[in-house]
Amino acid sequence: MRPLVLLLLVLLPHFAWASPRGDEASARAALLARFDAALRADVAALDTLLADDLEYCGVSATCSTKDQYLESVRSGTRKFRSLAPKIERVRLFADSAVLTGKVYAVSIGDGTERNVDAYFLVVLAWRDGRWQMTNQSSTLLVDKPK
Amino acid sequence: MVSGASFAKDDNRSAALRTAETARFEAQVNADAAKLGKLLDDGLEYTHSNGDLDTKQSFIESLTSGTRDYISSVATIETVRIFGDVGVIRGKAKVTVGGKDRQPQDLHIGYTDIWLWKDGRWQMTAWRSMRMPDSPVK
Repeated sequence: MRPLVLLLLVLLPHFAWASPRGDEASARAALLARFDAALRADVAALDTLLADDLEYCGVSATCSTKDQYLESVRSGTRKFRSLAPKIERVRLFADSAVLTGKVYAVSIGDGTERNVDAYFLVVLAWRDGRWQMTNQSSTLLVDKPK
Repeated sequence: MVSGASFAKDDNRSAALRTAETARFEAQVNADAAKLGKLLDDGLEYTHSNGDLDTKQSFIESLTSGTRDYISSVATIETVRIFGDVGVIRGKAKVTVGGKDRQPQDLHIGYTDIWLWKDGRWQMTAWRSMRMPDSPVK
């Protein structure tokens, strides 16, 4: 009996820490919330939605850490007039999710607006009972003649 | 004990993932359909730096038919991260690509690719690349 109690005491914290991973709907919601927070330049919301080990790679192949990304939002270097994401595919794994799609964006910089339409690839990690974005990589969407 | 075993497993998988990435770049240059068949996941989404999209089938077909010809690829892996059965690689590559009706072009790209651990091996399931500012646009 005593070994069983000891075993339970050892295992219990592991079960307590393990929260069930989110589903497809929650992964979609987390990514849409991230785009919305970026549009509103809501640094506090982004701080919660982004993982500490974020790799954010824009269409120019420049990659930012979480701190660099948040600073660019805070300072207004990264600013949007509009952001319209279209999530096309969601794949769920044990403790991560991969989402792909397109985003139609109008960015503001140096007083000018620029259309930046791109394919995105996003990896969400399930941590602390919520989805956190750990990678976004984008490729410019080029209009091609049909 | 469990944590130690987990770290060792991740280290092994991380090394295997780097090996798989190197093998994939080589297989692309060699247009080796058999190797690519094993290294690429059936659900592959391949987004080229010019916005072209390929599935696993169309990508391999483009290489074996010569429509797309990777003349050389020199890749530098910058980060490798493992999330359970998902691996994320970020890197840079200098690629010379040509093909039918296409003049060879030197590209300098940044890339992210996603791999899945399936059937006891890594398989690439997504690729996104972005042209560096010093790359030609077209």
